[in-house]
Amino acid sequence: MRRSSRMSLPAHPPAAIAIAPKPGFAAPCSRGAFSPDKPMIGFLIRRLVFGAAVLLGTSILTFTIAFVVPADPAVAMAGAKADPQTLATIRRELGLDRPLYIQYARYLDRAIHGDLGRSYIRRESVTRLIASRFPATAVLAVCAMALSLALGIAMGSIAAAYRASPLDNALLVLSLALVSMPVFWLGTMLLIAGGLYLRSFPLGGFAGPMSLVLPTLTLALGSAGYYSRVLHTSLSDAMDQDYVRTARGKGLSGGQAMLKHAMANAMLPLVTLAGLDLAGMLSGVVLTETVFNWPGIGRLAFEAIFNLDIPLIMGTVLFSAFLVVVANLVVDILYAWLDPRIRPWEAG
Amino acid sequence: MKRGFDRIRAPLAAILLALTVFAVCGCGDGGDGAIFPRGAHVLRIADVDDVPTLDPAAGYDTESWTFEQAIFDTLVRYGDDNVDLEPDLAESWEPSADARRFVFHLRRDARFSNGRPVTGDDIRYGIERVLDPATGSRGMEYYRGIAGAADFAAHRTAHVAGIETPDPWTIVFKLDSPDPIFVHKLAMPFASAVPREVVERWGEDFSRHAVGSGAFMLKEWIGGQRLILVRNPFYFRKDLPRLDAIIDSLGVSSELQWLKYEAGDLDVVAQIPPAEFPYVMKTPRLRSLTRKKTTVTTQYLGMNCRMAPFDDVRVRRAINYAIDRRKLVALLNGRGVVATGVLPPGLPGFDPQLKGYSYDPALARRLLEQAHLANGFSFELWMRADATALMLGQSIQQDLALVGLHVELKPVAWGPFLEAIRQPHTVQAFVSGWEADFPDPENFLGTLLSRRQWGANNDTFYFDPNFQDLIDRAAATTDLTIRYRLYDEAQRIVLSDAPWASLYYPVVYAIVQPWVHDYVLNPMRPTRFERVGVSAR
Amino acid sequence: MSGMRKNRLAAVGGAMVMSLVLVALFAPVLAPHDPTRAVAPTYGDPSPPSLAFPMGTDQLGRDVLSRVIYGARVSLTVGVAAMAMTVAIGVMVGLMSGFFGGAVDFVLMRLTDVMLALPALLLAMAVVAVLRPSLFSILLVIGLVSWTQVARVVRAETLSMVQRDFVIAARALGAPSPRLILRHVLPNVAPIIIVMAALGTSGTLLLDAALSFLGLGVPPPTPTWGRMIEEATLYFRTAPWLSIFPGIAIFYAVLGFNLLGYGVLSRRAR
Repeated sequence: MRRSSRMSLPAHPPAAIAIAPKPGFAAPCSRGAFSPDKPMIGFLIRRLVFGAAVLLGTSILTFTIAFVVPADPAVAMAGAKADPQTLATIRRELGLDRPLYIQYARYLDRAIHGDLGRSYIRRESVTRLIASRFPATAVLAVCAMALSLALGIAMGSIAAAYRASPLDNALLVLSLALVSMPVFWLGTMLLIAGGLYLRSFPLGGFAGPMSLVLPTLTLALGSAGYYSRVLHTSLSDAMDQDYVRTARGKGLSGGQAMLKHAMANAMLPLVTLAGLDLAGMLSGVVLTETVFNWPGIGRLAFEAIFNLDIPLIMGTVLFSAFLVVVANLVVDILYAWLDPRIRPWEAG
Repeated sequence: MKRGFDRIRAPLAAILLALTVFAVCGCGDGGDGAIFPRGAHVLRIADVDDVPTLDPAAGYDTESWTFEQAIFDTLVRYGDDNVDLEPDLAESWEPSADARRFVFHLRRDARFSNGRPVTGDDIRYGIERVLDPATGSRGMEYYRGIAGAADFAAHRTAHVAGIETPDPWTIVFKLDSPDPIFVHKLAMPFASAVPREVVERWGEDFSRHAVGSGAFMLKEWIGGQRLILVRNPFYFRKDLPRLDAIIDSLGVSSELQWLKYEAGDLDVVAQIPPAEFPYVMKTPRLRSLTRKKTTVTTQYLGMNCRMAPFDDVRVRRAINYAIDRRKLVALLNGRGVVATGVLPPGLPGFDPQLKGYSYDPALARRLLEQAHLANGFSFELWMRADATALMLGQSIQQDLALVGLHVELKPVAWGPFLEAIRQPHTVQAFVSGWEADFPDPENFLGTLLSRRQWGANNDTFYFDPNFQDLIDRAAATTDLTIRYRLYDEAQRIVLSDAPWASLYYPVVYAIVQPWVHDYVLNPMRPTRFERVGVSAR
Repeated sequence: MSGMRKNRLAAVGGAMVMSLVLVALFAPVLAPHDPTRAVAPTYGDPSPPSLAFPMGTDQLGRDVLSRVIYGARVSLTVGVAAMAMTVAIGVMVGLMSGFFGGAVDFVLMRLTDVMLALPALLLAMAVVAVLRPSLFSILLVIGLVSWTQVARVVRAETLSMVQRDFVIAARALGAPSPRLILRHVLPNVAPIIIVMAALGTSGTLLLDAALSFLGLGVPPPTPTWGRMIEEATLYFRTAPWLSIFPGIAIFYAVLGFNLLGYGVLSRRAR
């Protein structure tokens, strides 16, 4: 398959929960394994099955971690002042005295029906907790993604247009600087600057458009730096390709040549990255949410981990894995559809 | 395939798109908004975290109890700013002389917010919910002493035999053994009157649709964002509550609460953030608006008397002399009182004459020498993983380093922490606190230091036969004077044996706006909102 | 000309990393005070930067400058050691996957996919919370969570290596696989591994800082930059310098490794 295998990207900021560009590296190239007359459906089915397998694997992994944990859920529920009798009773009621694989089977069975259990600490349905916190994270993620794409595309394309000039240099350093900033520190700095000194923005919490500005900026800046480098690399690649050189030879200026012919192709890796990142963001940007007291899934997961609230931990991890799997699927299909060269169902 | 853009237009369009998305998304949930008409008496408060639950059987923390107190009633309750028992749903009550039988007479005009009158059955139902293992309530142990509780919990009987309701306005409790402080247990929110039909309708979601007979009722609860209470039109106390509504903003950090308070957007800050505290105390205008209470809580360092080297009483005393308690209080900006013993002030039976351990590192070193540990030793100090505990832990670390002891701090999540300290041979020393559940020394000296609580709440695994004898006798004594005297003797033994190094009694400072009236702090319970009033700002 | 620029990047990055290493090595000499002892009675009331304490003192009376300097030790140790583990696992998986192909590749790549589907930070938090924070658990966790990127890149490089003539020839001649891998494939894949190491260190540094910030890093009183920022959040209004200085330190370290890695990478590519 024709894809650059160069790892020309700086380490991805952990805030957006890094995911390497998938299509280039592990997309299962399987030709001839489907019926030739319905290749697309075969591809889809295969990807779906694959996604389900990943989810299953995730659930087993998280379940193992959660229940190998040296913490007694009965204690987590019953609290400081419970005596052994109370604890034993609670354990019986929760079914914790059954063997591990039976507990897992029960969990899986319920999970498929949308019931992810009840939080030990909050006594509420995990599904409902996740659903209630999801919108806040979703809003933040979508806004941050939009902003980071906008900034990243702007920076990347300008840098590529003025390749090898001082402007390109400056933008390169800027992108690397943005990527190197720890998200929680950037957030705190913005909070201090914007909230305290400028006094224009609310200091955390989700309350109207103004409160969205600082967290969005925090999330977007790091990603913007990253995307700008991705785009820059792809654009530089594309611009060196023959067809662009030909276009230049025809008399089009460098900038126009780039943008007309190179941009479309160069956008593809960026789009796939962005799609996968969005899934990562949607599963909760813990650091940003902590700094800004954002009522999203990231903080929910963080509290769950701190309280060793096992059903909630498992629920949030499974949910984010689900998002990633879905995003992967969508991105693969989109990518394949947009670039006829790599449709795996068409014999190459 | 994308058409070519002009070189400027692509980035520009992208930015415009982003802004549009941004603007649309931003029209999410607004702040408080104008939900209530002008002139309504609304109290605006905030919490750092979401309220865990409103179900009286489940809640066992400050946030939950704050609202459970407002929504539900119990047979008896405490005064607004003290721990004297007063009537609530019960007009009067008679304990028997042997403290095994308690009769309560209910008032007839109490009603739930759905209009239904409250009867003794509702109290019984509430307590039975707590005793039912399916609920997973943490309050189970307080009502186990009621006759027939065990049978009920094992599903052998449909009701608890020891709770009788001969008529709707009378309820009788029969206990297996004498318990002079049983009435206090009925003042805990666990024993609230709960309407059966509402619980049966909502099942496990009852918390989100809580209905009680208290001064307020639940109007709205958006998880992680906002909880709103409004007045209960059927509340039996005339002219109360004074407020029309309470709006609690959830997930607001203490710093943010403070800033909102300064801007006038918040009426009460329940705990002034540490960073602002010195400033508040130095500013007379603000200082006059603060309310303070010394909580009936003791923060202590517990040492496992069964694990070397803490099995040597000299070592335990050395630790007591080596810790600079005044520095701890300074680190808290004065929001604490140096602890002198196990019992905190405000607890009946507290002895103000008791002198605790002084700060004497030289004496500590001598004691260690006597214990043949002149070269010091190292140990792990376990604690909950929260910022204050870690800060104080580091201070203790510094202090003990001065007498040659090397301390490793071990911050651990709550669940594993509790589990670990209950194991007899896992944790050598830990930092913890204990807040009074009811105003009696039994709650500290018995629950935390009795032989019977090994593996449960006596995490220092302390035992002394004289001490045990004293507290057993005291627990059964109904004459309060004798009772407190016995506990006092017992406490002196404990102080000398030093399984604990009591650190401090936390002091809480709240601050209110000038237009908030009658906001008082209760030493042992969250503030009641019934009499709180707001005037025009 | 662009080659020169890339050289400069690597040089600047290298200088930054070197300075960091020197600070970490000579911390006891450079730091004016003991980072864990109180040097001023500013309990609960941090004092701003002054001549005596250029970065101020924190709420426990400790000198911030000394803490920042000593913080370099922990950060570098964790960053480099975790990166070593990451690279070790990632290279192993990637080499085996790319070289043997077939079923081995399939299984390993599916495992990678599962790991990638799990949210890295959450997983790290969960494992550390369970194992209880210590230097070793942090290293372990960061390594376990970060190896997938390295594995994929190494696999891709290995795949392209495997199709080269000399490898095909050596195979045809009957060379045993381990020797093939070690003698022929690994040396050619090495440059990219070096780059991944540099970039990987910036990633592990950030992850470690994040874990520290969330309270799951190396326990106190050992100063770590992330935890310093977290302890400073209580005082961010009255004592913002407590957050600013450690953050700059993290930024400096991560940027150094990024510049180094990126510079070397670009040189190699051209």
